[in-house]
Amino acid sequence: MNVEITDLTRRLGRTQAVAGVTLTAGPGVVGLLGPNGAGKTSLLRMLATVLPPSSGRIRLLGLDPGDHRERRRIRRRLGYLPQHLGYYPGFTVVEFVEYFALLKEMPAAAVPRAVAAAVERVGLGGQARAKLRTLSGGMLRRVGIAQAIVNEPDLILLDEPTAGLDPEQRVAFRALLRDLGGTGTVVVSTHLVEDVGAACTDVALLRQGKLVFRGTPGELTARGEGTDAAGDAPLERGYSAVLASAAQAGTDPAQARP
Amino acid sequence: MTARLLRLELRRNAMVWMLPLLGLLFWLVAFRRGVAYPPLWNIRATSMQTAAVSVFAPSVVGVAAWIGSREGRHGMTGLLTSTARPRWARQVVAWAATTCWALLAYLVCVGVLYGVTAAQGAWGGPLWWPAIVGAASLPAFAAAGFAAGALRPSRLTAPVAAVGVFLALQLTVQLIHGDRSHWQISPLVANPWNLGADQGVATFYRYLPDLPIAQLLFLAGCTAALLGVVGLPAGSGGPWLRRSAAAVTAAGLLAAGSAAALAGTARIDPHGMVAIPVLHRAADDRPVPYTPICAGTPVPVCLHPAYAVYLPAAVEALAPVLGAVAGLPGAPVRVTQAATTYRSGPGGIGVARAGEAWSRTPTEYRLLLPSQLPGRTLTLEQVAAAVRADAGRDIVASVIGAARDATPAQDAVVAALLGTPASVTDPDAAAAAQRLAALPPDARRAWLADHLDALRAGTLTVEQLP
Repeated sequence: MNVEITDLTRRLGRTQAVAGVTLTAGPGVVGLLGPNGAGKTSLLRMLATVLPPSSGRIRLLGLDPGDHRERRRIRRRLGYLPQHLGYYPGFTVVEFVEYFALLKEMPAAAVPRAVAAAVERVGLGGQARAKLRTLSGGMLRRVGIAQAIVNEPDLILLDEPTAGLDPEQRVAFRALLRDLGGTGTVVVSTHLVEDVGAACTDVALLRQGKLVFRGTPGELTARGEGTDAAGDAPLERGYSAVLASAAQAGTDPAQARP
Repeated sequence: MTARLLRLELRRNAMVWMLPLLGLLFWLVAFRRGVAYPPLWNIRATSMQTAAVSVFAPSVVGVAAWIGSREGRHGMTGLLTSTARPRWARQVVAWAATTCWALLAYLVCVGVLYGVTAAQGAWGGPLWWPAIVGAASLPAFAAAGFAAGALRPSRLTAPVAAVGVFLALQLTVQLIHGDRSHWQISPLVANPWNLGADQGVATFYRYLPDLPIAQLLFLAGCTAALLGVVGLPAGSGGPWLRRSAAAVTAAGLLAAGSAAALAGTARIDPHGMVAIPVLHRAADDRPVPYTPICAGTPVPVCLHPAYAVYLPAAVEALAPVLGAVAGLPGAPVRVTQAATTYRSGPGGIGVARAGEAWSRTPTEYRLLLPSQLPGRTLTLEQVAAAVRADAGRDIVASVIGAARDATPAQDAVVAALLGTPASVTDPDAAAAAQRLAALPPDARRAWLADHLDALRAGTLTVEQLP
C-alpha cells in the first residue's frame, strides 16, 4: 500500500481538523470528497509531509514520514499541488517546473527531458517560455500540476486541481489522472463530484474530520438510489445521502457506515 | 544539481534589476569622489572602500531581504516544504545567487576605478586590501538581509532592513572614539577613522593588513552566523542539518566577537595605519623602496614617484627661491620629500614630518607636501602656494639666517624672494621688499651674494636694500 494511515488526528487551534481517520490506498485514483471544512486539505497536507499529525500513524510508500531520512526519501517520490498555488511571477513555466524538479532532487541529467515532458503533458508546450505572471488562472493550475508530476511520483496529492480549468481542460485533466493512477497512487481532493465519477477508482468522503464513506464511485452512487437526497446526478445524490446519513448519526460516528 | 539550481536562481535573481542603480550610485558616490583625488592608490582605494560599502550595503541588504522573504510572500512555504531538498540548502542557494550578482557588480565598479587609476599612471601596484574588505562585506550584508527576510517575511522587511543597515553603519562609525575602539571593525573603516582618507598613509610604508584581516574575520563570522540562523528554525532540515546550523552560528559569533575584540586592541602606528599587535608582522613596517623622480633644476627637487603629479607645482613654487639661493651657504643642494609621522593623543591624531626638515652632509631640505597632511583636498595651485609659503620660507631663512627674531631687512628679503613683498607689515621694509623683488633675477642673486654675510649677521638695514 502506498498510503497507510491509522487513527490520524490533527488539531488546528481549537478546531479538530482531522479526527481519527484510518485509510489505505494502493495504485489508482482516490477521490477525497467532502463539504468545506471537512478536513480534506488538512489530511492532504499531512500526506504531503507538510503538516505533522497530532496523533496517529502514517506510512507513505512503505516509509515513515516521522523519520527525517525516510521523509526525505518519500518527498523525492511525492507530487503535491496545494489548494492555493504560490508561484514566483518572474519565473517562466519551464523554470518553475525545473525549479521543483531540482528541489525534488531529480538527477540533473534527467531534469530537462522530465520538465519538457511534464509541461507537454499538461498542454503548456506553447507557453513553456511564458512568464508565470502572464498566465491565466487555469494555466497556472496546469503549471502547478506539471510541477507535481515532473518527478514521475509514486504518490500524487492534488488539492482542488480542476479549480479554474475550463471544461475542455477538465476533460483532458481527467484523462491525465487516469493515466497517472495506472502507475501510482493519486489522491485528489475536490468539490466536483463529476471529476470523481470520471476519473477515480476509489472515493473517500470526509465530514467534520471523520471518514464517513470509503468505496468505489459505483458504491457511492448506490447509496443515493431510492433516497430523496439532493443532486442532479446519481453520484451527487449518493454524496448527499452519505452526508445526510452521517449528519443524522450526529455525534456518534459509529452509526455512520464508512 | 546545486550548480543547476544556482544557475536558475542567478537567472531570476532580483539583484539583476538593481545593477544599473548600483552602478549609478557607485559612480555618484565613490567613483567621482575617487577620481577627484590625485592618482594615488592609497587614497583612491581607501576612500573607495568607505564609499562603496555605503552604497552597496543598503541595496544588497534590501534585495536579499526581498529574496529571503519571497517564499512567505508568495505563499509557497507549504509547497516547498513538500520537496526533498532541505529548506536551509534551498535558501543558501538563493543567498549565493544574490551574493554573486552583488559581487559581480562590485568587482566591475572597483575594476573601473582601479583601471582608471592605473591608466592615470598611479605609482606602485593597486592597493588590494580595501577592495577585498569591501568584497567580503557583501556576503555578510546579503546574509543579514536574507536572514531578516526569511525569518520575518513581509513586504516591509526589505525596505526596513535596507534603511536599518544604512543607519546602523552610520551609527557604528559615530561610535569610534580613539584608536582602540571596537567599532573600527566596521567595513566602512579603511584608515584610522578620525584621520579619514589621507594621502600621507601607505605610500612610503606598506598598507598594514592588520585591520583588514580582523575585518575579514569579522565579516566571515557574521556571514556564517547569519546563514546559520536561517537554518535554526524547525523545518529547516533534519536534525543533523540543524545541529550543523547551530554549530555554524556559534562558530560565526565566536569569530566575529574575536575580531571585534582584536580591533579593540588596535593602535595607530607611526605611519598612520591601524596596527593590531596580535596580527602585526614586523616585516610590514619596512619602508617601501622607491626611486625618487627629480626635476632638472639647479637645485634638484625630488618627490616620491607616487606624488609625481605634484612635482611641477613644487618646482614652480620653489624655482624662484632656489634660483636665488643656489650655491650660497646654507642653501640646500637638493630638495627631497619627507614622509609623515602620526601620533595618537588626547586631542586627536597629530600629523607631522617624519624626522627633521634639514639633513646635513649633503645639505638637503626635506619637503612635506601639504597634501600629505589630513584635511581637504587641495588643487595644484593651492599646493604650490603652500609649498612656497612653508618650504620656500624655510629655505630662504636657512640662507639668510632669519630666525623668529628676524630683522626688518631679513623679513624684507624673505618676502621679496618668496614674491610676497606686500606681506611685510613694516612700511619701510615692505617698500624695500618691493624694490628687491622688482630686480631681475640675476641682479637680485648678485646683490644677495654680496650682502649675505651682513644679512646673516643681522647688521643690514632696510635702507641698505637696493
